Amino acid sequence: MRKLVILGLLFFVGLGWSIATFQGLAAQGTYDRIVIDFREEVGSAQIETQVRAIANQFKVRPSLNSQFSEADHLYIVEGDKTLLKSLRRSDIAKYTEYIEPDYVYSIPESQTKEIRKESQPSATSQAPNDPLYSQQWNLHSIGVEASWQETKGGGATVAVIDTGISQVPDLKETKFAEGYDFVNDQIDASDDNGHGTHVAGTIAQSTNNGFGVAGIAYEATLMPLKVLSAGGGGTVADIAEAIRFAADHGADVVNMSLGGGGESMVMQEAIDYAHKKDVVVIGAAGNSAQNSASYPARYPHVIGVAALDASGQKAPYSNFGAGVNLSAPGGSTAGDNEAGGILQNTIDPSTGESIFAAYQGTSMAAPHVAGVAALVKASGVKDPDEVAAVLAQSARKVQDDGLNHFGAGKLDAAAAVKLALKGKITFNDFFRWLRDNGYLNPRFWIDGGVIALGPKLLMMLGSYLLAFFLRNYFPFTWSWSMASGLVAGSSGLFFLKGFYLFDAPQFPMRLLGSSLPELGSAIQASGALNPLTASVLIPLGLVVLLLGHAQGKWFAIGSTLGVSACLAVSAAIDPQMLWLGDGTIARLFLIVNALLCFGLARLASKSQERMV
Amino acid sequence: MSITVKGTIDRKGFGTGTWAIETEQGDTYELHKPPSDLQKAGLKVKVEGNLREDVMTIAMIGPVLEVKKFEVIK
Repeated sequence: MRKLVILGLLFFVGLGWSIATFQGLAAQGTYDRIVIDFREEVGSAQIETQVRAIANQFKVRPSLNSQFSEADHLYIVEGDKTLLKSLRRSDIAKYTEYIEPDYVYSIPESQTKEIRKESQPSATSQAPNDPLYSQQWNLHSIGVEASWQETKGGGATVAVIDTGISQVPDLKETKFAEGYDFVNDQIDASDDNGHGTHVAGTIAQSTNNGFGVAGIAYEATLMPLKVLSAGGGGTVADIAEAIRFAADHGADVVNMSLGGGGESMVMQEAIDYAHKKDVVVIGAAGNSAQNSASYPARYPHVIGVAALDASGQKAPYSNFGAGVNLSAPGGSTAGDNEAGGILQNTIDPSTGESIFAAYQGTSMAAPHVAGVAALVKASGVKDPDEVAAVLAQSARKVQDDGLNHFGAGKLDAAAAVKLALKGKITFNDFFRWLRDNGYLNPRFWIDGGVIALGPKLLMMLGSYLLAFFLRNYFPFTWSWSMASGLVAGSSGLFFLKGFYLFDAPQFPMRLLGSSLPELGSAIQASGALNPLTASVLIPLGLVVLLLGHAQGKWFAIGSTLGVSACLAVSAAIDPQMLWLGDGTIARLFLIVNALLCFGLARLASKSQERMV
Repeated sequence: MSITVKGTIDRKGFGTGTWAIETEQGDTYELHKPPSDLQKAGLKVKVEGNLREDVMTIAMIGPVLEVKKFEVIK
């Protein structure tokens, strides 16, 4: 008996050690910035005192994330893991809602090839001389200046399928390819609405020209394709034609800041055609604040983009969930807050005159991705799937995004270009297969980023190891009920968590994809465990109820062991709990309950032995 | 597909702005080519029109409703 206890303890110690050295998915994120969010109720005087204390104590300079961060009490400091730990341990922590890494994701160094250097990084600041650039919080937030050290998009062509593009003064130095007006059937594709010119400005506004605002890939070529009338609407047929036109006339990237309508074969075939011709297709996720992106963002081979506001949260109007691959600044001008929108040069549709206007929408988010896609293309990555993989892998990952507000994360221009220049990108063949098969018929969608695979496998493996230990002392035969108990308790059918059916609520999938301890927070899609379900309570109930039942008993014992492994792994990797936080209290709670579960399983199988 | 909806006219701030109708059930329809008499925020109306599945727009706020006729509800 003592041997069994020692073995059990050894398992937990071993598990702890392997987890501590485990380089799983969750550990791949790198960061050199730390986000500090002070609690809402902390006064500004107190925050100022604490910010000064951080500066003095850790010799860093906390700064607001953007000019809008003051209201959100959001500060950024440069620092690493050590600083993060010290900050979390310091007195400052109690004034904060969270202190967490500002993750930047990248592929491991071993997968990289030669580094191309077309242009030497300049030692001077990359800030352009456009006078209104300081108001473009959106460009700051995607780190565009650092990306310009490598490329400004020269050689790439971006087709803007929209209301047309008028050559306003701040597009004077931008290169144009011949486009087409599918509404009026003419070559001149000037804008009569203002939307298309604005979108084009985000992609390639003339920059460093001492005038107006900046754009992302300002050395790229714009191809104006007018498919939407002055009223802002257009037909699927025209849009599909425009996509084919773009693919046939050398476009590298297509931006579609438009959406609505139903599924259309014409449209899907046009998109597939463009994809085969190596065109990266970007679509806005839509502005109806609903689960599921609208068409065309949800088609196969389209990168669906959700919108962020100036504080980096999901913009209130943005669609989310199925079909959202990435998030980028779309702004929010709610309450006539012009500064919260995206500022570009466009036309006033009533007079046709040039104006600088702040717009909001996923329409504004998509061209940020199109601009960065042009930078990635200009860096030498040609395959559209590889461009998509670069954008996704380089995006700043958002922890606990259960409802998929952000897709793979927040667009990061600097990291994307850096990753693109490193050379060969390996697009995960498995996910390509999943995606392509899912997309043959756009009814369902798989969010590859939702599951931290490593910990889940560890939980399942751990539960089997525990069962193996028990078996040495209380022989039993493996059965389906035991095995399903182990899975239910440890990991659940976790792959279902990222499975979406378009236009259907996702919570049933989240419930099916959750293990017993996760059930208490599955509906609200929180990553934090609920202490009621993440404890010995459910296993105890199961054992009490099912001990007298021949098959059920083994399910109960299996799930008890599964829960034990799940809690132990959570304690080591991510001890985040509702009400208890993510510190020592949560960790202790999980460890104690994991041990209680193991003890319970031992008692239950022991009673079985006596009964036999 | 022809449908009739009852609701309140609203101006949505996407691009240069878009006219929409919000129904009592909380659904939002984008109005396609609304007559100028209908372009008044806060107006309570009954609108009959075609759902245009083949139309995409810059506003992306919901199904596109092409107005055939409407009447103001007092």
